[in-house]
Amino acid sequence: MSTSTLQHGSAAEHGHDHEHEHHHDLPWYRKYVFSTDHKVISKQFMLSSLFFLFVGGAFALFIRWQLAYPGQAVPIIGDILPASWATNGVISPEFYAQLLTMHGSIMIFFVVIPFAVGMFGNFCIPLMIGTDDMALPKLNMWSFWLVPPAGLIMMAGFFTETGYAAAGWTSYPPLSAQIGLATFTISGQTLWTISVFLVGFSSIMGAVNYVATVLNKRAKGMKLFDMPLTVWALFITAIIITLGTPVLAAGLAMLFMDNFLHTSFFLPDNLVTNSTYFGGGQPILFQHVFWFYSHPAVYIMILPLMGIVSDVMATFARKPIYGYKAMVFAIAGIAFLGFIVWGHHMFQSGMNPLLGTTFMLSTIVIAVPSSIKVFNWLGTLWRGNIQFSAAMLNALAFVSMFIIGGLSGVFMASAPVDIYIHDTYFIVAHIHYVLFGGSLFGIFSGIYYWYPKMFGKMLNETWGRRHFFWTFVTFNLTFFPMHILGIGGHMRRIYDPNVYDFLKGLGGVNEVVTIGAIALGFSQLILVGNILWSMKWGKKAPRNPWKANTLEWAAPEHPGHGNFDMDITVYRGPYEFGVEGREDDYWPQWEKGASVSVTHHTVAVTDDAKTFGAH
Amino acid sequence: MDGFFSVFDMLAWFPENISTFGQELDSLFAIIYWVSVAIFFLTFGVMGYFLVKYRYSPDRRGYNYHGNNVVEITWTVLPTLLFAAIGLYSDDIWERTKYSKRVPSADVEILVLGKQFGWVFLYPGADGAFGRNAHNDRTARSLMSATNPFGRDTADPSGFDDVVTENQFVVPVNANVVMRGSSIDVLHSFFLPHARVKQDVVPGTWMTIWYNLFKTGKYELACAELCGGGHYGMRAEYEVMSRTDYDKWLDARNAEVKAARTPQPAPTATADTAAVASLR
Repeated sequence: MSTSTLQHGSAAEHGHDHEHEHHHDLPWYRKYVFSTDHKVISKQFMLSSLFFLFVGGAFALFIRWQLAYPGQAVPIIGDILPASWATNGVISPEFYAQLLTMHGSIMIFFVVIPFAVGMFGNFCIPLMIGTDDMALPKLNMWSFWLVPPAGLIMMAGFFTETGYAAAGWTSYPPLSAQIGLATFTISGQTLWTISVFLVGFSSIMGAVNYVATVLNKRAKGMKLFDMPLTVWALFITAIIITLGTPVLAAGLAMLFMDNFLHTSFFLPDNLVTNSTYFGGGQPILFQHVFWFYSHPAVYIMILPLMGIVSDVMATFARKPIYGYKAMVFAIAGIAFLGFIVWGHHMFQSGMNPLLGTTFMLSTIVIAVPSSIKVFNWLGTLWRGNIQFSAAMLNALAFVSMFIIGGLSGVFMASAPVDIYIHDTYFIVAHIHYVLFGGSLFGIFSGIYYWYPKMFGKMLNETWGRRHFFWTFVTFNLTFFPMHILGIGGHMRRIYDPNVYDFLKGLGGVNEVVTIGAIALGFSQLILVGNILWSMKWGKKAPRNPWKANTLEWAAPEHPGHGNFDMDITVYRGPYEFGVEGREDDYWPQWEKGASVSVTHHTVAVTDDAKTFGAH
Repeated sequence: MDGFFSVFDMLAWFPENISTFGQELDSLFAIIYWVSVAIFFLTFGVMGYFLVKYRYSPDRRGYNYHGNNVVEITWTVLPTLLFAAIGLYSDDIWERTKYSKRVPSADVEILVLGKQFGWVFLYPGADGAFGRNAHNDRTARSLMSATNPFGRDTADPSGFDDVVTENQFVVPVNANVVMRGSSIDVLHSFFLPHARVKQDVVPGTWMTIWYNLFKTGKYELACAELCGGGHYGMRAEYEVMSRTDYDKWLDARNAEVKAARTPQPAPTATADTAAVASLR
């Protein structure tokens, strides 16, 4: 069977019938707002994350302005900033601390995790394993609808007396316990704790759903090792979330009590402050609890994108993934190691230096599965037939920026080197190379790749490439010089570097970073414009525009509730490109046909009896 | 063109190093840096080559090849060996710089406290011994206050001559300085960029910080842990002096403390005032 019959057959019309059969009786708000359809929920995650991406980005630009031009009024909007933010347009030090806290918190909890896990998890898992929806659709709906209230609660910090939370996204007590305030004071920090607690719940709800769906709802014939790497990565990520996030919830509950009720889980006795509390707690305990979740959370933010990038690269290099199983084991290895390395955030925290040795060695081991992944991606490019689509360009950017981010990670993994670079801009450079250069390029890649299936329209490819070009250039202009700032000793989270003589030579670097950041921020408007424009005026998408193998491309152009218009049976692995004995250079998972595996190659045969699972 | 490329020589951006173990830390940084540069050019080179050589052409098709276990094992074992070597070498330096039992015997002992937003230091004074305070006696913690951050017991005679300085301190050159650091409110981090020293100070716990500086001069201390709106201004200065200058400086402080105390007839009765005086 060739796919052309699929594309031009009656399948599309059938798909629409299917949608109408099930849904003409649902009111509009059940269809578009409180929907249980995984694709609608995915789009909701996408829109909320895009919104918060710009909120978090705006906060970042305020930070950058202050660092490059300390003491100068913010241009254009300086005059209209509220008095609690700025005096005469100059950002206040207190507001600066709120900015960096909100930037980090929003980008992590409301942008990257919802994009990576919420959006792609929802969209890809049911479609790529060939099923109609999640195992628990109502729970899925709830997992999204906890996000907007959580976002509002965090942003409501603006209306409290102390403003937004201001203890950094890591919220270390005693600062985050706000010992100076009276008991039962609701501050931005209190709201922050509640908000992050709620998004944590949203994550857990999504994650148990993903695990249940992957284990129970795979299409006929699909073994675990027939799943695309995207699904593998999301599945393993979901396991990390279910194991890690409850620990964060426990830590946040204790922090909330310290903050609001003045208990002393994390507060030692005899703090010098006006307020009363019990004492006897240990501040470092919070760091252990926090990083036990938040280090795995780093992998929550990047593993799904590693999966997505693998799929995109295989499709556009027209080649099987090099070492599919090695890729799966590397993801699992990173996930496991992620749980035993949290102490590397705490080398200088006052944790026993003996533990520094343990955590340093376990951390350095993570470089091994990471390099396995990089080498396998390079192996995938080898002897491919590489098409530079916008999705592929972003995937390649992911790999290359992940190499830089991974290498800078080795510096801080080495505990003695970390003594100097800890809490400097070197760390900021590293986290942005991994979270923006890695995760966000992966997210862009996924958006360009699956947009046709999400909205039934093609994204504009020319503007996609322009967006990629400007993002890639300005990203490096913004974040690469941060390594230099870090080596110069520039501490992170400081309001005015000019206070220090040893930082005086770094003003020019700070300016370059800020100019890059402004350009980077405005480049993202291209993406939003493209997404909105193509939704209405984009070319109609064919069923399988990229000639890919995985099951989502078996679904109609713009699948309705229930996804598929045919019965799906899986006959082979997800990456059969360039198989000998076939006319097409791709061989979808759902197409009937037999093959044999000969020394790492797959060869199509006509005899059904000789079918092997080919990887 | 050379000037342009010097931007990429990241090692040139370090502030001058003045501590004994700082040289080791810098050279370890340099080793990892050059290894990273090598890996960077290797992987980017291979990737760039593949992207050009295997770019799309309509008359070719991708090579159906699923991977090779020998290759996989090779590129698992090689990075393991490389990174294990970096890890073990790092650990050796880590043990020598940070392990509690490897802290050298102190030539000078100083207490340091972080507070919002500044640093205070306590020297043992003329007798070379601290009086009872929150560091050497846990029960003295209840004496800690904004005016007496170290929780000094003003009734203890051996503490009469202890010297307090604020936002500045002095250490002798070529001496093992051992500091015990803590905080009176939130977390701070004791960061001496030129000495390659960084240690968070945590309220309720005393951290050991040691270093040995080989160059005299004035340098800066910064706070490296977000501690509130005034975090950025939590700056202090320190001066590395020759031993004789240091002794002179210490004598002068001792004289100040003594002068502040002499008008008091009975030390126990006016203990609080004495503490305040010595704070200045």
